[in-house]
Amino acid sequence: MNIDPSTKIIESTQRYSSSPLSDQFINVPFVQTMKEQVEFDRTLDLSLVDVFDQERQSSTIFRPVTKFTLLFENAYTGSTKYVPYRDNLYYTNEIQNSISYYPSGNVTSVSPQPTNQNVLWDGFPQYSEFDFIRNDFDVSGYTIGSGRHLDFKPVSATTYNWSHYVSYAYENDYNKKLYAIEPQGQISWNWVASDGIPFYILLGNDLNNNFIRFKCPVKHGLLIGQFVYLSINYNTNYVFQVSNLGDEGFGSEEYIFNISNVGYTGTTFQTSTQGTFRKILDFTNSADTISYYYVRKHKILTSSECAVLVNSGFEKNIYNDKTKCENKVLTPNQRKRTSIKEGSRSYTLSFNCDINIKGLIDNQNRPISQLYFTTIWRGYFGWTQKLKQGWDFNTYLYLGNPQIWWNQNNLDSNTTIGQSQYTSLLGQGPFFYNDLLTSGDTIDGDFCEWNNFEQIERVISKYQHKITYNYNWFSLSSTIQDPNNSYGYFYRPHNKIPIREFSNYIEESDNEDLLDLPDYAYYSTLNTSFRWRDLYSYGFISNDGVGLDYPFLNNCHYPFINTIFRITPENYNIPSDYGTTTNPNDIDNYQGGKVPANIDIISQPLVDGCDALGVIFAQATKET
Amino acid sequence: MVVTLWGLYLPKQQKKLKIMNFNRTKVVKNDTDKFINVPINMQWDFMGRDDGITEYEKDIVSQVIGNPQDFEIIRFAHNVFSNQDSHINYTFNFYNYLQPISATTIPITAWEPNYLNNGFSIQDVYYFSKSFVNSFFKLDFYDSPEDATQTLYLSMILPVQQGLTQSQILSTTLPPVQIKKPEMILDYIGNDKEGFFIYWLRNKNFIDVSTFYMKAKFFDAITGVYKEMTNTKQDLLTPNKFTFDHTKYYYYQVKLNYNNKTYEVYSTLTNSRVGDLNTPIIWYEYVNP
Repeated sequence: MNIDPSTKIIESTQRYSSSPLSDQFINVPFVQTMKEQVEFDRTLDLSLVDVFDQERQSSTIFRPVTKFTLLFENAYTGSTKYVPYRDNLYYTNEIQNSISYYPSGNVTSVSPQPTNQNVLWDGFPQYSEFDFIRNDFDVSGYTIGSGRHLDFKPVSATTYNWSHYVSYAYENDYNKKLYAIEPQGQISWNWVASDGIPFYILLGNDLNNNFIRFKCPVKHGLLIGQFVYLSINYNTNYVFQVSNLGDEGFGSEEYIFNISNVGYTGTTFQTSTQGTFRKILDFTNSADTISYYYVRKHKILTSSECAVLVNSGFEKNIYNDKTKCENKVLTPNQRKRTSIKEGSRSYTLSFNCDINIKGLIDNQNRPISQLYFTTIWRGYFGWTQKLKQGWDFNTYLYLGNPQIWWNQNNLDSNTTIGQSQYTSLLGQGPFFYNDLLTSGDTIDGDFCEWNNFEQIERVISKYQHKITYNYNWFSLSSTIQDPNNSYGYFYRPHNKIPIREFSNYIEESDNEDLLDLPDYAYYSTLNTSFRWRDLYSYGFISNDGVGLDYPFLNNCHYPFINTIFRITPENYNIPSDYGTTTNPNDIDNYQGGKVPANIDIISQPLVDGCDALGVIFAQATKET
Repeated sequence: MVVTLWGLYLPKQQKKLKIMNFNRTKVVKNDTDKFINVPINMQWDFMGRDDGITEYEKDIVSQVIGNPQDFEIIRFAHNVFSNQDSHINYTFNFYNYLQPISATTIPITAWEPNYLNNGFSIQDVYYFSKSFVNSFFKLDFYDSPEDATQTLYLSMILPVQQGLTQSQILSTTLPPVQIKKPEMILDYIGNDKEGFFIYWLRNKNFIDVSTFYMKAKFFDAITGVYKEMTNTKQDLLTPNKFTFDHTKYYYYQVKLNYNNKTYEVYSTLTNSRVGDLNTPIIWYEYVNP
């Protein structure tokens, strides 16, 4: 401390005449360049557990792994005369085809010439056309030898049919055009996602019931006492309270809601009136508690070269391979071979590039809590045409046929995935295939609902892709099909793998200076407080079982999940191996248009594959 | 601990000074400067020092415990050639011992890709006898071709069950049969995949090796010994067939590409890439004198 030497301290009585005697003070300024010393603070107990946890919580690197159980039923037989396809079918009508193809007979001792090359041969495309890893690298006349369709490159064995990526939901599309149709009521809706959930009035005020009954093509997500903001109004009133749910049907409470008929007149609530609604939790503060509806958009994080897809040991699913021996004399190329209708192998998918989530936020501006294994149909061998997209509510048949949504000419069901074409080595074409995606590409996702007050996202309907055969090369048999809107296969491209969990409870605080207030907290004007759900740390599992504890090593997180990947037929055009029927009126056996439910665990087979599949379909029936 | 923190300087012109109100100390005027020692209990520390110590503490802890390292291995696949072919071809030639290796002139056909040259019978190879199936090729990957300083980092086994086949007469009463021969075409799919992928560290942070030197041996289960192999026929080794430059004739270079997780094999003689159908990776049995 420095004091100016010229400072004079004058005794108080000397300051002026008759000045009183008083105490004098020197204010010693203590400039705050020091802090209190805390003893023992320099002692540190080294705890490997703590160090491990610190490293774990600070790491943002993920190496996700999944085991794919591929479930596929080859459901559509068709016909073709394109030689590479024709010679490699799983034949279903080989005797009649042979009779036509070999007009002079096909006895082995007699040359089977001449042949009628215009004969269409019937059968299923073999399983390798849908398998995750193609192994038909040495099929003469198809992948090698003269007359081959293309040059098979083993490096592409895992990307000829499908491509695999990691993605995350990064944005919401509120303006996505959607379409649904009521199979029974013959009512259809065209709406945009932000409108909410469509409905039609099943029982209107014209029937003088105590309730006005609304039916939705998707789960409405409402509870008794909550409110709906309708797109139709009664005397400028748009908001009505849900008085009860469902009708006498089992499970109908998820699709039907009712409001009390207090004597409504006019045409607003007439039977068959259509519209959309949005959920409101609290009528007194609809701004805070109204739900928002949108289609999630996914951003791709990896390139196709990053994916490492390998056979999962010797594991197979519970359904055995379905193979048959094609008799030499009953084939167009006079070759005896084994053809495979359905396979059963499982696969393991990992990535040789790391997923760094640092700085990434999800579609609700929160830290990422979920990654997705995104699997896209590639179809490089050219059997299929343009890939279409829709949602679960688009997968049901309408009068036994695919919904018009799936028409090849409907622009609204196009994906953002590019399509290319090539000419085969035989000089024929074009054959179409879907382009590979690269990091940063975006594709659509599930149809969802978000409520700011509840701080929770609900998946209303899952995203689906539909694969259909290219009629120029392979036309479906036995049914009259619109070439632009035929039966096809559905699959769900996005398979979720959670990497963190949000709490079951909602945190609330009116203090904006709260240290741990996350930047994604929502300020509720109703409660004049911030609302959010806590993001649990890695490895933490709450008392109610919420949380994740994946392995952490090599300074990376290793989330793992089992994924059941279904390629689901929209219908069958011949009776399937499982005794299903093509007649929609045979309610007990008809499976067309039914998308199997989410099944986390495949049940053990009861007796054989057929019984086991019965379990699957029983659950599917329950859902649908 | 009590220390004198500073001295309070009072000019001599002042007659009397009262310090605060806790002690009515009188300072009597005289002609000498006076000082007041203010005792302050040292319970303070400089601000920021604690933060510095915390940082230092982290440094010490990381030295004691170590930073997280990435020890994960990942597969490196053989990189495609310009025609998109991805297979890698190995050909192992065995000496037929028709002449001693010390002979002045050795026929060009003395080394052949044929297990029979090694002493296996047709029956051994065709019926997969124990002595045959217990034999294998071993590829060793070193960080350097210098024998004295190199470190062996990994090895791969190529089982004899892999490979192409050749026609042989098993019995005069039977049609010719196909038996294995030591020519292997390895690829992503198919029956012959063992040894196609190199499994090595995903990141170079721990061991920074991008180029390995690959050396081949054959374990002969008939005799239970390893046979070394060279990349050139022994009679062509320079300066002579027993004394030669090991760095040149014992190895192929294997270069890893950490970006796309692939590898390529190069000849140490020509520095050109090898491994496709036209330029297979050729090994010749080395016969000790």
